[in-house]
Amino acid sequence: MTLHKNHFSMTVIAASFLGPSLTPNEDMPWREDDLPQDCDELVQKTLGQPMRRAGRFIKMVCSGAAACLQKVPAELLAGKKTGIFLATGLGNGDEILPFITQVFLHDGGFPRPNQFANSVSNAAAFFLARQCGIKGVILTLSDEELSFESALWLAESYLAAGDIDLALVGGCDVYTPTVDEYRDRMNAHADNARALPIGEGSSWLLLGAPEMDGPGEIFAVEIGSDAVRPDAYIQSAAFAEQLSGLLETAAGPLARRAQNRLLLPGFRVRDAREAAGGPGLLALHDYLPHCGIHPTAAAFGLARALVQAPSSVLFHFNSSATGKPALVAAATK
Amino acid sequence: MSRGAVHIRGWGAVSTLGWSAAESARNLISGLVHEAAICSSAHLIHRNFKAFEIDFDGNPMEKSFAMIDAAVSEAIERAQLSQEEIAESCLLVGTTGGLFIRNEFEFTESARQNPDKELPPISCRNRGPGEVTQMIANKFGISGMTFTLSMACVSSSHALVAAAGLLQQKKIRRAIVVGFEPLLNMTLHGFASLLLYDSDRCRPFCNMRSGMQIGEGAACIILDEKAAKTTAENQYTLAGGYLFNDNSSLTSAGTDGEMVKTVVQEALRRADIAPESIVAVKAHGTGTRDNDLSEGRGLAKVFGAKMPPVVSLKGAVGHGLGAAGAVETALWLSCLEEGEMPRTFGFSEIDPEIGFAPSVENRSAPAGAYLFTFFGFGGTCTSYVINKE
Repeated sequence: MTLHKNHFSMTVIAASFLGPSLTPNEDMPWREDDLPQDCDELVQKTLGQPMRRAGRFIKMVCSGAAACLQKVPAELLAGKKTGIFLATGLGNGDEILPFITQVFLHDGGFPRPNQFANSVSNAAAFFLARQCGIKGVILTLSDEELSFESALWLAESYLAAGDIDLALVGGCDVYTPTVDEYRDRMNAHADNARALPIGEGSSWLLLGAPEMDGPGEIFAVEIGSDAVRPDAYIQSAAFAEQLSGLLETAAGPLARRAQNRLLLPGFRVRDAREAAGGPGLLALHDYLPHCGIHPTAAAFGLARALVQAPSSVLFHFNSSATGKPALVAAATK
Repeated sequence: MSRGAVHIRGWGAVSTLGWSAAESARNLISGLVHEAAICSSAHLIHRNFKAFEIDFDGNPMEKSFAMIDAAVSEAIERAQLSQEEIAESCLLVGTTGGLFIRNEFEFTESARQNPDKELPPISCRNRGPGEVTQMIANKFGISGMTFTLSMACVSSSHALVAAAGLLQQKKIRRAIVVGFEPLLNMTLHGFASLLLYDSDRCRPFCNMRSGMQIGEGAACIILDEKAAKTTAENQYTLAGGYLFNDNSSLTSAGTDGEMVKTVVQEALRRADIAPESIVAVKAHGTGTRDNDLSEGRGLAKVFGAKMPPVVSLKGAVGHGLGAAGAVETALWLSCLEEGEMPRTFGFSEIDPEIGFAPSVENRSAPAGAYLFTFFGFGGTCTSYVINKE
């Protein structure tokens, strides 16, 4: 298999995870039946003011990113060129659906202008940029369940080129409008996804050059060209070789010192228990029950592990519905 | 992020002017251009919006797939890519709606087939903008990295600049960049709700302009790290480009032209081209009051009294939204192959606030540097320079 490798070292300056319980950086119980919860309290708490005209997607993007940026002193951001890379599998459906419903209900009447403006695909990244005072490289990327991995891959290229000093990379997807439709839109069914409730989230990493200080590092993203069966692949010798190769050739200082090796399986992996004791000798770090299945759950999983799992090498593995494999390697202090 | 030239190996496009970039360019140069008209597609519910609609015998989903297929196939053929080269290519798609058309088509079909039933609200079954990217990758056997940029009207122009950057960094060897946008009720009604839609015609840079008109389209540009086999008669390179996003206004680039000036100057700097070396400008020129004022003033600040010919294609093919970057670039390249620059359609009177007229007659297209500009929702701007060598 050809691997589209991006081996590098990006310092994780800050990480923040937000799942369906809407409590940033905390594991709190939640239920699929309660989705979607009102996020106005979250907005008030993270942004200090309401966002009256915005929908849940925009609110979640801004709140999740704010929770990440609040972990670093303002002076660290001052004068730096920061890029925003918003990954979303499904985008702002919560803004689009009311708008298009109104269009059809009124047979071509005039929906509210701000409803359309907010439904445009990059509106959330715009509001986030304005909230943070960021101009320049602001990209919205949407590649289904590998959106976050693609965003990391691209963010590194902008950091490496010197176009930006910092990269704010996040994944956000929100529940809309029914469980069945949401699951259908994710193409997540019994034969190609883990049997878990669906969820949502907005989780973010602030990344910088390797010489910067932070609680973690991302040292590789590898996306394969050939389809695999994810359950079988993570138990295979080929996967073990991929991991050991990464540790030999790409691992940064944190990864070399780390005491634990954790496997974070994405939602296309239906059963990862065997892999934990398999040839890769990894401990299972099962994040999905905390955030539920959503296209950018990888962002939640990696951010949560970066916050909660000290001295660890983190291998996040997922695949597309067609079996295209994606591996992200990170490490913590 | 551009650092050095990138070779343009192939391109293709489907527009309201034809089912290939070559045919579209010939029609454009010959003046075989029709104004926007009332649309006939069954999924469009409001018959009063004029738009640039591509003729097709089939339903809107079949048409979408046919448009993408034709554009990518034309580009691959021109680039003479082997299957191995296709497989190792990186795919970048710029689109806002992706396959959202499926929702509109299925809903209107359901209504048509059940005229006596009260329908439930429209449902949303498309899998996000990335769905169309996977469809293209699977169809053509592209197994490299895939990126879907969903950036409103600069989606595919941003994708071109991002792809060029990855090539210059040698992260990838080849990029297949696709722009795709079908006509949607969502966008027709959306721009109308913002009072940005001209119900009569699109008049770029004209004092009489009062809005944009949407045109559907699909296009593909193939960028390569090195000059390679191609059926094009001339060599083309993307010399440098710049993408920028402002945060001042969701819907306006500001009318003082300052941001446009900054973005164009940075694109020229990255392409290592002086303003006086620009042969012509393929402007965004939507026909909205603010966009054209902003762009016109910005270009005037860059070029001063030595303004090169400025051409907007929106009066001929409409605003392709996320596909505009790829579609207009592909059409322009085919015009260059024909040796002519097309004229601007829809212009009749200078806007004194802009102070110049776009080019309203065809001109010969010599070798040299051509500037491209694109702007969109969310304060987004793209500018790049393509050299005809």
